[in-house]
Amino acid sequence: MKLTTFGDIFPKLSGAQGEGVKRIFGIFLLLLVVYVATAILNPNFLGPYNQENLIRRTSLFGILGIGVALVIITGGIDLSLGSVVCLVGVGVPWLIMDKGWAPWLALTMALVVPLLIGLCHGLLVTKLKLQPFIVTLCGLLIYRGVTRGFTGDQTAGFGSELKGLRWIANGEIPLFPGFGIPFPAIILIVIALLAGIFLNRTIYGRYLLALGNNEEAARFSGINTDRMITLAYVISSGLAGLAGLLFVLDLNLAQPVDFGNFYELYAIAAAVLGGCSLRGGSGTIVGVIIGTALLRVLRNMMNMAFLGFQRAEFAVIGAVILGGVIADELAKRAVARKLSAQKDRDRGSKLERLPPD
Amino acid sequence: MKVLSSFLLSAGLAILALGLAGCGGGSDSGGGDDARYAYVTNGVDPFWTIAASGVRAAAADLQVHADVLMPAAGAVEQKSMLEDLMTRGTTGIAVSPIDSANQTDFLNQVAEQTILITQDSDAPDSNRLINIGMDNYDAGRECGKLVKEALPDGGSIMILVGRMEQDNARRRRQGVIDEVLDRSHDPNRFDPPGSQIAGEKFTILGTLTDQFDRAKAKANAEDTLARNPDISGMVGLFAYNPPLILEALEQAGRLKEVKVIAFDEADRTLQGIVDGEVYGTVVQNPFFYGYRSIEVLKAIHEGRETGADENGFINIEARKIRKDNVEEFWADLKKKLGKQ
Amino acid sequence: MKAVSPEPLLEVRAMGKSFPGVRALNDVSLKLEKGEVLAVLGENGAGKSTLMKILAGVQPADEGQILMAGKPVEIAGVNDALEQGIALIHQELNMATNLSVAANIFLGREPRKRGLIDEAAILEKSKKYLEMVGLEVDPQEILGTLAIGRQQLVEIAKALSVKARVLIMDEPTSSLSQRETDTLFGVIRDLRGRGVSIIYISHRLGEAKELADRVMVLRDGENAGDLAKDEINHDAMVRLMVGREISEFYSRTIHEPGEVALEVRRLRTSAHPEHELNFSLRAGEVVGMAGLVGAGRTELLAALFGVAPLRGGEISLCGAKADLQSPEDAIRGGLALVPEDRKLQGLILEMTVRQNLGLAILKQESSYGLFLNEVREGEISRKMMAQMQIKTPSSRQVVRYLSGGNQQKVVLGKWLALEPRVLLLDEPTRGIDVGAKQEIYGLMEDLAARGVAILFVSSEMEEVLRMSDRVLVMHEGRLTGELPRDRLSEEAVMQLAIGNTIAA
Repeated sequence: MKLTTFGDIFPKLSGAQGEGVKRIFGIFLLLLVVYVATAILNPNFLGPYNQENLIRRTSLFGILGIGVALVIITGGIDLSLGSVVCLVGVGVPWLIMDKGWAPWLALTMALVVPLLIGLCHGLLVTKLKLQPFIVTLCGLLIYRGVTRGFTGDQTAGFGSELKGLRWIANGEIPLFPGFGIPFPAIILIVIALLAGIFLNRTIYGRYLLALGNNEEAARFSGINTDRMITLAYVISSGLAGLAGLLFVLDLNLAQPVDFGNFYELYAIAAAVLGGCSLRGGSGTIVGVIIGTALLRVLRNMMNMAFLGFQRAEFAVIGAVILGGVIADELAKRAVARKLSAQKDRDRGSKLERLPPD
Repeated sequence: MKVLSSFLLSAGLAILALGLAGCGGGSDSGGGDDARYAYVTNGVDPFWTIAASGVRAAAADLQVHADVLMPAAGAVEQKSMLEDLMTRGTTGIAVSPIDSANQTDFLNQVAEQTILITQDSDAPDSNRLINIGMDNYDAGRECGKLVKEALPDGGSIMILVGRMEQDNARRRRQGVIDEVLDRSHDPNRFDPPGSQIAGEKFTILGTLTDQFDRAKAKANAEDTLARNPDISGMVGLFAYNPPLILEALEQAGRLKEVKVIAFDEADRTLQGIVDGEVYGTVVQNPFFYGYRSIEVLKAIHEGRETGADENGFINIEARKIRKDNVEEFWADLKKKLGKQ
Repeated sequence: MKAVSPEPLLEVRAMGKSFPGVRALNDVSLKLEKGEVLAVLGENGAGKSTLMKILAGVQPADEGQILMAGKPVEIAGVNDALEQGIALIHQELNMATNLSVAANIFLGREPRKRGLIDEAAILEKSKKYLEMVGLEVDPQEILGTLAIGRQQLVEIAKALSVKARVLIMDEPTSSLSQRETDTLFGVIRDLRGRGVSIIYISHRLGEAKELADRVMVLRDGENAGDLAKDEINHDAMVRLMVGREISEFYSRTIHEPGEVALEVRRLRTSAHPEHELNFSLRAGEVVGMAGLVGAGRTELLAALFGVAPLRGGEISLCGAKADLQSPEDAIRGGLALVPEDRKLQGLILEMTVRQNLGLAILKQESSYGLFLNEVREGEISRKMMAQMQIKTPSSRQVVRYLSGGNQQKVVLGKWLALEPRVLLLDEPTRGIDVGAKQEIYGLMEDLAARGVAILFVSSEMEEVLRMSDRVLVMHEGRLTGELPRDRLSEEAVMQLAIGNTIAA
């Protein structure tokens, strides 16, 4: 197994995956348009400080997006992400500052608890055959309620402690004066590479795509589908926990009542923009990151260029997502028409291959 | 399978019970009187935690029963909380209306059934008996004075706030703008949030809202720095805004360079004043909001004098906290919160 | 055959239809007399379905004319077709299984009283139409609770309720048991007697022979020829369909079977736990498994392959006891299963030919049990595509866009890549055309010659009779008998399939 180029990790794809690549290209164009437009409207947009901010935000939300993308690929959904972000984001400073836990112990909890949550989701979905929507919706309610319960609804933060640890969320690696790579970007790249390799270069990634498309056929092919689906939920919750940790390290304050509210929806929107079908079976990691970046740049655009229209922000984001999905659907239909015409041609010439008498 | 499911079920119930036990921490009981008072906030915030301690102190001093309810999900949840209180039977309610303009009819219904006073944010058109609070316009003007003190030569400032639908937020912001631009005293003036307003010495760049999304609040501060690199000051009007402004400035390496003028008394804000990163903050007195609310409700219930003015307003004055008085204020605050 | 009236009931003239890149119908004509059963035959893609969809108003024609009793008519939509009395019974039933039988019959045309549905009238009228198709069922029964065959009769009753003069049936027997098929044929004959004309589309040549007054064959979107009643025979139909003679349609070379490859003792499936099953399979042997639909054959294969749980008994593979808890275990033991429904259970439709072919063998060929070996995947898919003669423009073609026969070959190829010792096939040639069937039979024979033990379930009597070295027959979850090749006859299989014992 040698990985020499980008193309090795994200290989030339074909078929459904090939369509996915076209989708990514479309959404990338959209990102480019928004990006260039904002830069023209306000040249400060291109300033290194703003670029760093955009990279950091995309990284934090991108981690969530990658997690939920894996679940969406199985044909499921994870609505509990925002509440897991809240649980970890509030729980870690609460444990360290209010309960006096050693940081390493709190961090271990921050990694282990979400994994256990994901395991529960996975088992409920695969063993009890509950619908993912219901399971994770209940998760959304439970984890937020639990967080509000154990903290007594109090804001948690690190004060001026743990500057070193907080560096992993708000620190940067200087490249040249005035600009550095925010450290979360490194984390995102590592996760994206691992997720990309997992999805495209390991048999388990292939299994995930296969079962997302047709779970029964995958099972009939000897794939342990229950285990794979559970794994997807474990990864999703685990990454949500990591993102929650990074969010609180960055913001230095987390409030149980609304920390991470709606983040699951941003993550799902980014995954869908990036080519994941909610029916399952398709999706790429690069696409999710581009989708996340698009959402972040859009929000930044509202502040940079349309300050007076900030109240219309959600409408703009909603319209862009809808537009992207509609354009994508139309493109997909065009491809399908082409391919089914090809199928008919194949049928027409079928007799050639009958063996001679 | 059966074992697994029953395990998961019991684990789920246990978690649920834990959560509920924690959520129910807001109620306190006093003896003697069987009157029940309720104190309804407009959200969940440390500000209200201080107010709640005032409610508890009053309940203990006055020997009454008082509940504190904090709606987490906006006006809809606040409405259902009030409905539930009426259903349950409550002697008096002190509420901070989330959306006073649109809640008027509903608040009138509440006022018909029970003693209704408003606290913090007012609903001036409703039939509430009393409003306890700080005049937010005046408090805003106090905050504006801090801006002028911090930036004697003037400059450009951005205002950051959670949301503008609340009467108190709108008036507070207007107070800041009017004071900074040396305008006349007119609480009913309104400048649209997106517009840039240039005065003689100061320019108000705009007002950014975040709908209580903390990451968005920080992004607003960051975007402001990106958009207006030469900005002179930032004003954070909701308790969590100043700490996030400080985070943004710290990451941009511009602490102390861009002046921060704050509202409310978040720990990070007070620490910022101590360290010289925040010029000053305007604090309300949430402890007295809570304490006075229960006192006034009990007075009305028992037919006694409340001490309100002809408009039914009881003023809990705002204070300016600067480097000179921060230590004393903070120590007192910690005492009230029982943190010492 | 009926006396020919001057104007046929339905006539199609010079019908043409193109889809992007393909000419689906070219100058096709058709005549249908009143009270005539016309069998329309042709391989997949010959244009049968397109022609029928045009007649039923589902798709518009590009050119040509439709005449009813000599008068040109315009069929622009399904409602136009129904108005002309043309009704299509879909291949896959197209009804609301959650509603009652009566509600389905009147779906979209509910009689109303004071604006509300007149339930009483619906029940009353439904009874009449159910009687016409000889279905004894309570009209208030929920449709989904009926067997497929009975649901189909309900759909025919629905067609009759709109006064259909021409009934188009597209592969009506594809999911019916023998008994249900017999009932359906009775109904068709009865309808013919009442003057209803029927266009009958089928892959099963035997049915055409049994039922049709006339056969019309389409090939590559054109008329290939008609056969009058007395000309209908197997060879003639095949000749028209494939355009040349195929003598020896399928033949088997019998090999001497080897060691016992699969042995099943006292096996109880969860579908029929009351019966214990005992049988064995030897290397190089092709064993057919016959029985009516619902006899428990599919469930038996599923249990062997670890898809459905076992209730008891033991399975031995090549003499060693095997514990098959999951398909993974079964695959490790050298078993492979080509399931009944290839789209639902056999294929990842949105994946490519190459990815589907590699799916089962991925793990075995992976590096460190983790990473995909793309090189090996490519080699395997090239090898299997050649061996199976899979017709696809590229190995990166998405399987959805392949024809049924090629799809089935992909499913087979996925398993053959693993070189299984025991191959379980469930209805291996369902819904695929004559040419592809022939190829799959050839493959089965090759595999047997190479020592693979094959157990195949089939509801097509001809297939069972011609391909099997030995036949096991099931009836309601129980093995009712075993017939060696020399005692094999349609009569004997049927007797066992309906639960009778036969004299040795």
